[in-house]
Amino acid sequence: MINPTQSICSIQENISRVIKGKPLVIEMTVVALLARGHLLLEDVPGVGKTTLAHSLARSLDCSFKRIQFTSDLLPSDIVGVSIFNRQKQAFEFMPGPIFANVVLADEINRTTPKTQSSLLEAMSEAQISVDNQTYPLSQPFMVIATQNPAEYHGTFPLPESQLDRFLMRLRIGYPSLEEERKVLDRSPSLHPAEDLQPILTAQDVLDLQAQVDKVFVDESLTEYLLSIVQATRQSDLLSLGVSTRGALALNRAAKALALVRGRTYCLPDDIKELAPTVLSHRIMVTRMHGVRQQSFEQAERIIQDIVDSVPVPV
Amino acid sequence: MFLDQALRLSSVLLASVSFVGLVLATYLPEWLMILTGLALTLALMQTSEFTVIQHVVTRIKLSTTTWNILVLIGFLVFWIDSLWISGDFLQAGIHFLLILMMVKLYNLERRRDYLHLYAISLVAILAAASLTADLWYLPIFLAYLFAGVWTLLLFQLTKNSEDAGGSVAGLRSLQERSEGHGRVTPQLFWMANGLAVMTFALTLVMFFAIPRVGAGFYQKSSGENIRTSGFSNTVDLGAIGPIKRDPSVVMRVELLGRSRREIERLYLRGIAFDRYDGKSWANQLSHRRVVSEDSPGTFTVRRSHSQEAPDLGSALRHNILLEPLDTPVLFAAPFAETITGRLPAVQADLTGALYLPFSSSTRMEYSAVSRSNPVLPADLQSQPVSYSEAFLKHFVQVPVQSDRITDLAREVVEGKHNTYEKAVAIQDHLSRNYRYSLDAPLAEQADPLEEFLFTRKTGYCEHYATAMVIMLRAIGIPARLVTGFLATEWNEYGNYYVVRQQDAHAWVEVHLPHSGWIMMDPTPASGESVGHAAAAWQTLGRMLDSVRLRWSRIFVQYSAVDQLAIVRGLQDGSVTARNRAKDSLTAFFEPLAAALGEAAGHLVSGNFWRLAAVIIFVLIASCLFVWLGRMRPWNRGYSKREVRREEPAITQLYKRMITFLGGRGLLKPATMAPLEFLRITEAQWAEATSLVAAITALYCRGRFGQQPVTQEEFRSAQANLRQLMVLERRE
Repeated sequence: MINPTQSICSIQENISRVIKGKPLVIEMTVVALLARGHLLLEDVPGVGKTTLAHSLARSLDCSFKRIQFTSDLLPSDIVGVSIFNRQKQAFEFMPGPIFANVVLADEINRTTPKTQSSLLEAMSEAQISVDNQTYPLSQPFMVIATQNPAEYHGTFPLPESQLDRFLMRLRIGYPSLEEERKVLDRSPSLHPAEDLQPILTAQDVLDLQAQVDKVFVDESLTEYLLSIVQATRQSDLLSLGVSTRGALALNRAAKALALVRGRTYCLPDDIKELAPTVLSHRIMVTRMHGVRQQSFEQAERIIQDIVDSVPVPV
Repeated sequence: MFLDQALRLSSVLLASVSFVGLVLATYLPEWLMILTGLALTLALMQTSEFTVIQHVVTRIKLSTTTWNILVLIGFLVFWIDSLWISGDFLQAGIHFLLILMMVKLYNLERRRDYLHLYAISLVAILAAASLTADLWYLPIFLAYLFAGVWTLLLFQLTKNSEDAGGSVAGLRSLQERSEGHGRVTPQLFWMANGLAVMTFALTLVMFFAIPRVGAGFYQKSSGENIRTSGFSNTVDLGAIGPIKRDPSVVMRVELLGRSRREIERLYLRGIAFDRYDGKSWANQLSHRRVVSEDSPGTFTVRRSHSQEAPDLGSALRHNILLEPLDTPVLFAAPFAETITGRLPAVQADLTGALYLPFSSSTRMEYSAVSRSNPVLPADLQSQPVSYSEAFLKHFVQVPVQSDRITDLAREVVEGKHNTYEKAVAIQDHLSRNYRYSLDAPLAEQADPLEEFLFTRKTGYCEHYATAMVIMLRAIGIPARLVTGFLATEWNEYGNYYVVRQQDAHAWVEVHLPHSGWIMMDPTPASGESVGHAAAAWQTLGRMLDSVRLRWSRIFVQYSAVDQLAIVRGLQDGSVTARNRAKDSLTAFFEPLAAALGEAAGHLVSGNFWRLAAVIIFVLIASCLFVWLGRMRPWNRGYSKREVRREEPAITQLYKRMITFLGGRGLLKPATMAPLEFLRITEAQWAEATSLVAAITALYCRGRFGQQPVTQEEFRSAQANLRQLMVLERRE
């Protein structure tokens, strides 16, 4: 049995060797991992989205696959394909890149909805169905998707159903001047993440995930969480509130954050802090002046306002 | 001395005083007396600085569960005691009370334990009061009062510096820190004693100033009676007029055995007058004699004539609830035969008016039986009549012979042969030809009667009645004026008549040779209902009035006699209940005990294995019993919902910290989470960060983490909060 606090600390430390000055983003990434969730990284190119995913995968002693999403990518390119084997006179399933512990779906909005939705089953049920055959995915399984919000030409925005399956949506943001200088000072390397040593085995991750389930959430905190969710459903600014899956996700993420912060019980702070990250991609902002507001920042702001209006249990 | 120590001391003293009171008041078994005395002495010594005693007491400290079991056993013993040993509920209760006191004395941990001890000692001192009426109770009570004032003061003072969940002992460190605070200062000492003395003085004043009467002594704006007129020995003509507009209620009359329809107009007779001097009426026959009291509370005014004439008018029984009036006259329907009620004495004068010895300042209730004289057939024939000289002197007296009035009277009775017909003729004449009005300032006239009869022809009841009496007297018929009330307002909700000041009335009694005095009323019927309008409003008023009557009946008139009756009833009831319980229990246990004894004898004499089997069975059964008690399989479904933990002490401490920080400008909005607030504190008051962080961490763990905070941790949190306050003061 591993010491949860220590191992979580060390994995964060490991990642921060590559991703400089972003401790909160790294923490959230670990939270998503421990909460058995998937991560959607949304930011402009070149701030380290792919590197973050890569270094997480490298820190774990797990298999890692990367899928570069393009407009001509097909579902079979992700899940795999059945090929006729001449020798055996039978179709043989050739697993696609999704059969890995950590899957990086790079620029996920570049591909067609058809291909995007092939990820659906994998993400929610951790299994793949091809030709009436169901193949379980190996555990732990985590999808880290990235998308570029600045560029809209030739992109297919993710459907709501798929967005809802991501535990959280994160922005990385530009590093500070100091941190950026450190990045530049670093010895030139093609893939800085390649140098990382694995800290946790797959079994360790599964153990940690089991630990998350044991984190205690007080009744009053459940009430608090539900009242936040209720408030999103009743808000005039939102045309679609948070789903039950969203409430579940927030609950799980809060437990994971509590464990990451070295506690065996949740605090109102956990829920409050996570709400914008976990909930903002699950809502639809009301059309204002006929324009559908898609901006990430605005959704986050609305959720933050709602959270700031719900009283915390004492 | 520290406050908590003082509180403990005064609490134990309070208990001791009540114990001494009980010992003096009643017989206690020696063992119980000695045991309780020892317990109290130990507890007293424990509060003082004897470390040896404290050491011993902490040694023998038992757990709360043990104490609870002791109390349970005590309760069982109480039942056995009350049924068999002392055979008295009160005695057994006192024994149980002392056991409870002992248990509580060694269980003084939380504040509610102290409260329990106070309740026990209060019950004890009350029990002592109920058991004795000796003089020594006074000093005991005084001591109790002093101890009580001290205890309550200290209890309140220690409350501020303590958490509800914390123990009193945890307080000491606080007091040691801040000097001057938390100690019994000379000011406090004198204030407490002064308060006790003042309380006692106030109690004394109240004890003597408040009379122990059943009815409210101070009702009706501190004893001011309703001022009424027309019921004294001399009444000016026109005196009733002014009160005819006063709607205040004078009495309420219930009819017993009669419906309202039978008696449309209920006359309530007050005083009769015989002498008229032209301006005012006087009662010259006002010499009162005391009416004999036949049985307690029943006064017979005049004997029933039922044997002589069976066809006399039927008796009218009625209850009267008389408001406090400024006259001692007792009102009743004419002519009262018996008066029943809780009255000191009843007096009557020669005209048949009834009086109390003095005017009552409280509401009175009495019932009366009345019977009016019917007109006998003998009086319907014309016969010469002769009255005695003395009789005529009073009832045929006229002030100054006025020929006009005599002529009028003769004119009216022209052709009538007997006294009754003549009287009726005059009554009809007056009621037909004169107008009723309250606006008749006849009193100022030189001869108001002539003014009424010949000039204005307008007046009210008094004028009508006076005119009739004088006219009758002018032609030689004995008559007198009567004042009283004419009840017309019926309360259908409570089924009684409401009699108001405005119902004051005057009428006439005419003497017929055979029938005696009969009542006649020359005032026209339309006249007396002056202000009975506004139906809906009146309905509501009548409803309220009936409620008020019930209130008076049930609560206000509840007196010591009733109290005593209830206590007697309870005593009798408890004796019978006890006997019955004893009988049934004995009946139940006797065969059982016999069977058990037999079975035991059988088993011991029989084989060993059977005995072992029984013992094993009993063991298994008790294990099962314990298991059931602990697991409670029957309410598993509920248990989750019922676990409603009371707010942990650490939460209260945290709230206090929030309040304190809020006072310093660090406000925590309701929507702010604890760690968030900690960061804000960090930014705004860096010195306090570590203290606030420590308390917050403990709070988070205790409140949201379901991990109980230990006593030491809680103390350290308390210390942190105090340091925080010290830090603030230093700045």
